[in-house]
Amino acid sequence: MDLADLTRDLESLRDETVFSLGAAADVAALDALELDVLGKKGRLTVVLRGIGALPGDDRPRVGAIANQVREAIEAAFAARGTELHGAELAARLRAETVDVTTPGRPIRRGVLHPIEETVREIAEIFGQFGFVTYEGPEVEDDLTNFQMLNIPPDHPARDLWDTLYVDIEGQLLRTHTSPGQIRVMTATPPPIRALLPGRCYRYEAIDASHASEFFQVEGLMVDEGTTMGDLKGLLDQFAKALYGADKRTRFRPGYYPFTEPSVAFDVECLVCGGSGCPACSRSGWMTILGAGMVHPVVLQYGGLDPERYQGFAFGMGVERIANLRHSVGDLRLYMDNDLRFLEQFGRAGVGS
Amino acid sequence: MRVPLSWLRDYVDIELAPDMLADRLTLLGMEVKGIERWGAEWRNVVVGELLSVEKHPNADRLSLTRVYVGDGEPLDIVCGAINIAVGQRVPVALPGAVLPGDRRIERTAKMGVVSNGMLCSGDELNITGDADGILILAADAPIGTALTDLYGDTVLDVDVKPNRGDALSLVGLAREVSAVTGAPLRWPDTDPPEDGRAVGDLLTVEVRDPDWCSRFVGRWVDGVMVGPAPERVQMRLRAAGQRPISNVVDVSNYVMLELGKPIHTYDADGVAERDGRRHLVVRRAVGGERLETIDHATRELDPDTLLIADDRVPLGMAGIMGGASSEVGEGTTRVIVESAIFDSIVIRRTGQRYALRSEASLRFEKGQEVRLARIGADRAARLVAEWAGGSVARGRVDSAPAEPEPARVPFRPARVNRLLGTAIDPAAQRALLARVDIETLVATGARDRVVQVAADPRPLAVDVEITEALVAVIPTWRRDITIEADVSEEVARIGGYDAIPSILPDTAMPPWRPSPLAIRDLVREALAGAGLTEVVSHALVSPRMAETYAWTVELPPIEGGSPAVGRPIHVTNPLSADHSVLRPALVGSLVEIVSTNVRRGRDDVAIFEIGKGYGRDGDSSREWWRLGLALVGALEEPSWSRPRRPADLGDAKGVVELVCGRLGFDPPAWSGAPEEPLLHPGRAAVAAATTGHGRLALSGVVGELHPTFAAEADLRGARLIVAEIEIAGLAGGRPADIQALAPPRQPAAERDLAIVVAETVEAASVAGAIRRAAGPDLASAALFDIYRGAPLAADEKSLAWRLVFQAEDRTLTEVEIEAAVASITRAVAAVGGRIRT
Repeated sequence: MDLADLTRDLESLRDETVFSLGAAADVAALDALELDVLGKKGRLTVVLRGIGALPGDDRPRVGAIANQVREAIEAAFAARGTELHGAELAARLRAETVDVTTPGRPIRRGVLHPIEETVREIAEIFGQFGFVTYEGPEVEDDLTNFQMLNIPPDHPARDLWDTLYVDIEGQLLRTHTSPGQIRVMTATPPPIRALLPGRCYRYEAIDASHASEFFQVEGLMVDEGTTMGDLKGLLDQFAKALYGADKRTRFRPGYYPFTEPSVAFDVECLVCGGSGCPACSRSGWMTILGAGMVHPVVLQYGGLDPERYQGFAFGMGVERIANLRHSVGDLRLYMDNDLRFLEQFGRAGVGS
Repeated sequence: MRVPLSWLRDYVDIELAPDMLADRLTLLGMEVKGIERWGAEWRNVVVGELLSVEKHPNADRLSLTRVYVGDGEPLDIVCGAINIAVGQRVPVALPGAVLPGDRRIERTAKMGVVSNGMLCSGDELNITGDADGILILAADAPIGTALTDLYGDTVLDVDVKPNRGDALSLVGLAREVSAVTGAPLRWPDTDPPEDGRAVGDLLTVEVRDPDWCSRFVGRWVDGVMVGPAPERVQMRLRAAGQRPISNVVDVSNYVMLELGKPIHTYDADGVAERDGRRHLVVRRAVGGERLETIDHATRELDPDTLLIADDRVPLGMAGIMGGASSEVGEGTTRVIVESAIFDSIVIRRTGQRYALRSEASLRFEKGQEVRLARIGADRAARLVAEWAGGSVARGRVDSAPAEPEPARVPFRPARVNRLLGTAIDPAAQRALLARVDIETLVATGARDRVVQVAADPRPLAVDVEITEALVAVIPTWRRDITIEADVSEEVARIGGYDAIPSILPDTAMPPWRPSPLAIRDLVREALAGAGLTEVVSHALVSPRMAETYAWTVELPPIEGGSPAVGRPIHVTNPLSADHSVLRPALVGSLVEIVSTNVRRGRDDVAIFEIGKGYGRDGDSSREWWRLGLALVGALEEPSWSRPRRPADLGDAKGVVELVCGRLGFDPPAWSGAPEEPLLHPGRAAVAAATTGHGRLALSGVVGELHPTFAAEADLRGARLIVAEIEIAGLAGGRPADIQALAPPRQPAAERDLAIVVAETVEAASVAGAIRRAAGPDLASAALFDIYRGAPLAADEKSLAWRLVFQAEDRTLTEVEIEAAVASITRAVAAVGGRIRT
């Protein structure tokens, strides 16, 4: 074998390999060919063994040729490899295609009850103003539910609260969350900023706008300088937080035996915006809560000196607050617990 | 209170439009709940003149009239009344008119003659009380005019608050209007024309119980002729919501509405004489006395009833209802007018006891101005004479003629401003008070320095500097103003609540306090995330539910918990038996909600409620917070890619474990509760979970509702899983802080171990054996498979556990792990199990 033969063999191996690469249909054939040509016992190795038989002078020359051929073959393998891997990946992706328009695999999410959520929201709003939350018992005594709130026995104002009594002497089902005022005042010294949510009861035939069980949130703020102006400002903020920053509010005289002066707090009608409609009895306003400056007698029952301390209280019906926000017209829906009603409250909207 | 504006205008000029007036009154605290157009139904009723009245050709009792209504041909109208005559002007309902009671008037044939409308009685129009005759209008009533234009009115519905009994009257509301507009108040004339006879020669009154009847004023009118009241009066009463009865009786209602003073009239001939004079006695009833009241019910009187009587028999229940024997009727000629003041609490209790409450008794309940007893008697006597003829005897019989002076209420203008947050100077405050007739004086004497800060039942008075104080002289009708704060309200009210500044508090903040809602909210969020929907149900349930759905299983008590105790609490005056007992547990309500939803077509219901149970422990009540769960149908929502799998006990336990995890408790230990009657005995478990510190923090029962109860609840064969859990902190508290560790740096070693045990051996006991035997390096042991079948024996099961070994300080060697497994293998053998290889 001489230099020319060896050179020819190398070039022929290169050409054959390039030809075979073209015929290799997939990565497996490519790998087999690579082993056959470039493997430890491959054809290139076999050809190169012939170098040892050449005269010493020729060896560097054939070495250079051999390197060129090896590089050419390796480059051809790489190019073909890229082609074949690409094709194979493309085929796999084609095969793995799914119908992306089917609905997702559902994850059931429960819904929190609108009444409880409204209570939480009210507590959060007032929490921003430093109000802390308390709770009182639902089975109350007449003293705390009425007398300490400046409603003596046989007071005409008792007509405002039709009461359910229980079979324990002197006990009743609280008609409002207001007895919590007494409980907070006797439990903690001023400054007081307290919020008292809870379930209340009335002797009331149940219909779309009356419930025998309902929820209220009571607020109480007492210290040395709390004024009716503070009450007004705070309630205005509350209404704006609940119903929107553009809503107008109104303060007008009301009556509760346990506040003096007493307040009825209105927000502009959420249906008509104040122009007057059936929802607001054409007044343009909707009353959302009652409030007032804590009556001196109540402060005294709470153990506070009314000459030194003053403050305000407010109370709201949670169902009414929720009704206005969610356009619910029938109170009974809340305790009916029909899932078709409740599940609507899972669609949390993003307000403006 | 219904306030016809035309009537209100008798006492004050009103230039504001009705809706403006309503707005102003509302802002003054006299809330106008509605504005009614009175007489809107009379739109197609017009004034007509009778041109002829002839007998109906085919009916003896009917007339055929010809009526001119102003335009076009006169109308032929058939009429059944007998009080009509040619030339009279009468209301004519034209075809198309809709009268009160939704009565539609059409052109119809009556006994063969076409009638082109109807002539109306006062009652048919709801305008007077007369149902028998046609309403005869004034001779100058303009022909063709719609009645609504002639007699229509605007009626305000005013919600007068319980402390303002004085405003439960037209004069009282006119005062409020006057405060708003500044227009002066016009008092009605009250002095009756008197004849020469002294009333004392005709009537005597003996008040035996002056505590209950502080004043009794009597008047005497005789020679009266009872008949209908003037139509104008009847119209007013109708518009105000009262039914006209007769001229004398209508006086009572008229004066009550006008002045707020309930009045009673007696037929003097129904009252027995003593010493030749009619004699009235005010006294309490004695046992066994009976009275037939004017509603013709005969009532047995109890001794707490205040009576007006004569020497023989009771004549009426004071302030509540008169008696039939002395009722003013058609034949009455001599009338005794009673204008008295009865104790408000006595009247309130009596009205409640007999379930007899009226417009009159409500006014007594709110308290009466003493002066009104005299004024009301005078006004009533005057009106009786005016409307029913007759002659008023001179003077009054008066049991307590002294009338109190106006109360003096010292107040500090600076304190008013401090309460309101305003800066209204004293002169301006005085001017505001003057608008409601509260005169203000500069404080002078020692008593003017004593400011009443609080009144009964916890009075407080303070001495102030005389220069600080003013004295408000309170008109006698304003019985609601007794302390300084009342004056503050009056200043605020008259000045307008708009004038109060709107500011935010800048005073000291209270100390932090954990919210009682915090842990409930954590649990609620976790459960909603797990697919359960929250419900809120009635705490008042039926006796049957309270009895049936109460737990009997004994639960391990959690630390600081409130166990369910005692017997249920019953409502003594329930509206319905369905809501008459405070529930001892949540489970009954949840079963009911599931049942309702299933009956409405829901297959899958997963709900929870955080609510209270209630019970009595001796004479005290107890309330305890619980979490209740109910699962029926699929918890995981089925879809095209996942079959429907009904929830089972395992799902409910998983929910409880989720709650434990969320609150930082260890996973609960489960044990059987086969004795609980509400649950399937083989599918009832008790959960007990502890905090990291080993305190029991969660305890409850989870199980499948017993098939007997499931059948009763009509669940369409579905299995219902329920749970009721006590959790530390549900009543208030903050969750324990999580103690976090750095992730282990040493690799963990896993071993799977299948342990074959008898079917009766509980997984918990195997897990306990594993944990006790494994040594300190066992990080977790999780049950990942349960296998039954060949090659196991029929009463065997294989529990497969994945054990994770982990040491903090080193990589565990194979030898150490094998030693632990060997120890477990021995322990398992001790509980009758073997390792399956």
